[in-house]
Amino acid sequence: MDLIEALHSMMLIRAFETALARRSDHGFQLLSSGEEAVAVGVCSALTADDQLLTGGRSIGPALARGLAPDAVMAELLGKASGPNRGKGGRGHMSDASAGFFGAHAVVGGNISIAAGVALARSLGGEPGIVVILFGDGACGAGALHEVLNIAAIWTLPLLFVCNNNQLSVSTPRTAALAPKALSDLALAHGIRSASVDGMDVVAVHQAAAAASTAIKLGEGPAFLECTSWRFASHSTSTRETRGQAEMAAVLARCPIARLDAALSTSGALTPTIRADLERQVDAAVAKALAFADASPYPERDEATTDVG
Amino acid sequence: MSGEPAAATERLFFREAIGRALREEMRIDPRRIVMGQDVGAFGGSYREFEGLFAEFGASRVRDTPVAEAAMVGIGVGAAAAGLRPLVSVTYMDFIMLGLDPLVNYGAKLRYKTGGRLTAPVIVKTTSGARGQGVAHSQCVEAWLMSVPGLKVVAPSNPADAYGLMKAAFLEEGPIVYVDHKRLFPIPGEVPLAATVTPLGLAAVLRRGTDLTIVTHSFMTRTAMEAATAMSAQGVSCEVVDLRSLAPLDIATVSASVRRTGALLTLEEGQVTCGVGTEVAAQVQQRLGPIPVARVGALAAPVSSNPVLEAACLPDAPRVVSAAVALLGRRRSDAPRPVSRKS
Repeated sequence: MDLIEALHSMMLIRAFETALARRSDHGFQLLSSGEEAVAVGVCSALTADDQLLTGGRSIGPALARGLAPDAVMAELLGKASGPNRGKGGRGHMSDASAGFFGAHAVVGGNISIAAGVALARSLGGEPGIVVILFGDGACGAGALHEVLNIAAIWTLPLLFVCNNNQLSVSTPRTAALAPKALSDLALAHGIRSASVDGMDVVAVHQAAAAASTAIKLGEGPAFLECTSWRFASHSTSTRETRGQAEMAAVLARCPIARLDAALSTSGALTPTIRADLERQVDAAVAKALAFADASPYPERDEATTDVG
Repeated sequence: MSGEPAAATERLFFREAIGRALREEMRIDPRRIVMGQDVGAFGGSYREFEGLFAEFGASRVRDTPVAEAAMVGIGVGAAAAGLRPLVSVTYMDFIMLGLDPLVNYGAKLRYKTGGRLTAPVIVKTTSGARGQGVAHSQCVEAWLMSVPGLKVVAPSNPADAYGLMKAAFLEEGPIVYVDHKRLFPIPGEVPLAATVTPLGLAAVLRRGTDLTIVTHSFMTRTAMEAATAMSAQGVSCEVVDLRSLAPLDIATVSASVRRTGALLTLEEGQVTCGVGTEVAAQVQQRLGPIPVARVGALAAPVSSNPVLEAACLPDAPRVVSAAVALLGRRRSDAPRPVSRKS
């Protein structure tokens, strides 16, 4: 794992979302700030043959999967130069050719879809695994439980990644979900599972890589729970329910600052390299905004194109 | 049609016609698979999948757990990723469990990806009442007609059961194929040659001059029965079998109603927001005000109790009496002297 690249990727997500959140012309957004290590750790363990599907909180995962910031920004701002002509937008972006089969903003709604993609792979003898990234909110939904069972009996090449940010809008995970660890949900189906610190990009990467290897060896699906902390409220239009002291403690867990400190201590990250990364990230975000702003919206006629 | 040589046919039960179409399609392309409850060695609850498991094996004819939401979702996802799956939902009542992946994902996929992905999945499901009670008898195809991006067909005879299944495999997006419990054991002639029944094309099954009856699925048989009964009373009914509900062939229906001047819609489902309601509205948009009657099940659950089930469902006498009332109304309306104030 290239740790400088991981740091760069996490910094890009943070800067991208921060710039996007400042805009007023996007309706609202589901930010993943604070959860960058989950997206980057998982995606750094994937290959070009793999496919990633996510829930609605998908900006970080899309960027970590390697989608161009220009295209992502254009899609989120509803521009026709987005990968889905601005018609998918927030929560529904997709670029299967880049290994990002896509987001789907129905909680738990993309899990059975991912299993179908995995079945197609398996029957077609195609290489690569399918990763479905979902939040702890989806762990209460029937879809996950049905698909865990089927994925196990059909030994699908499917990696379940639960980004457990411990909040469903305002409802704490402890008030919504009975299992002690969410990875326990996989145990009943004999699915290999693990829980890791989702604020530690190295731990996430190692666990995802190990799971991916096992899946590719034909061991069937695996389940990875990454415990994380959301830095923003549920969406940019949702009020924050956590108090100042709690938020201060949450922000102190920053996965970017954590990797930065580790790399600085080891000497791998120098102030020069960090300044360079910051410049690259800022330039990429500025370029993405400029690209999106210069792009047209789809024509009104497109309201009825590609319907059926 | 007269003048053309009759195409060679074979006599098949409705269930066999479905099976033949699936067998042919699965032989063409290994990406075509069937999944659902008891579709494997058991051959389907109505034996419509008989023989497929033996020929294509457990990998392509997949028994699933009782989990309709996951089954439909997996079918939709597999379709989006390049397979051509048919998902069998044994009772249409349980399609409700699979509506999230079908409606929220499958029907919108082409749109939301800007045309880059589509989900050509067939969801085959069995509607209709035959003594199985309030949650195993419903005809909810009208619900599905209003979903942009979703197609819906409902054959009434073996030839169309075959031809519409063939058509379903040509689709680029999701399609719901509605069959009916009472149709499975019904025989009919099916062309020996591979034949596709085009989507969006209704069939005029009987020509008439006084009234157009528009129907689909098993109720087509009820409509024909009613038309025969009315013929004895000197009323000439035209019967149109929609075959395809989305897209809807309103041109054929309108042309018929223009000739007959009156429309009776007949379905086994509910008339409120039903197939007939939509048909009537679209016909009147084209033709202006016309006399319309809608016949469907009573606004009540369909019991497994034989007396109550029969009381709830439309039958030929109910169609005849609705038709007589409709035509009586038209006659009483028509000759009324009109005071012309110009």
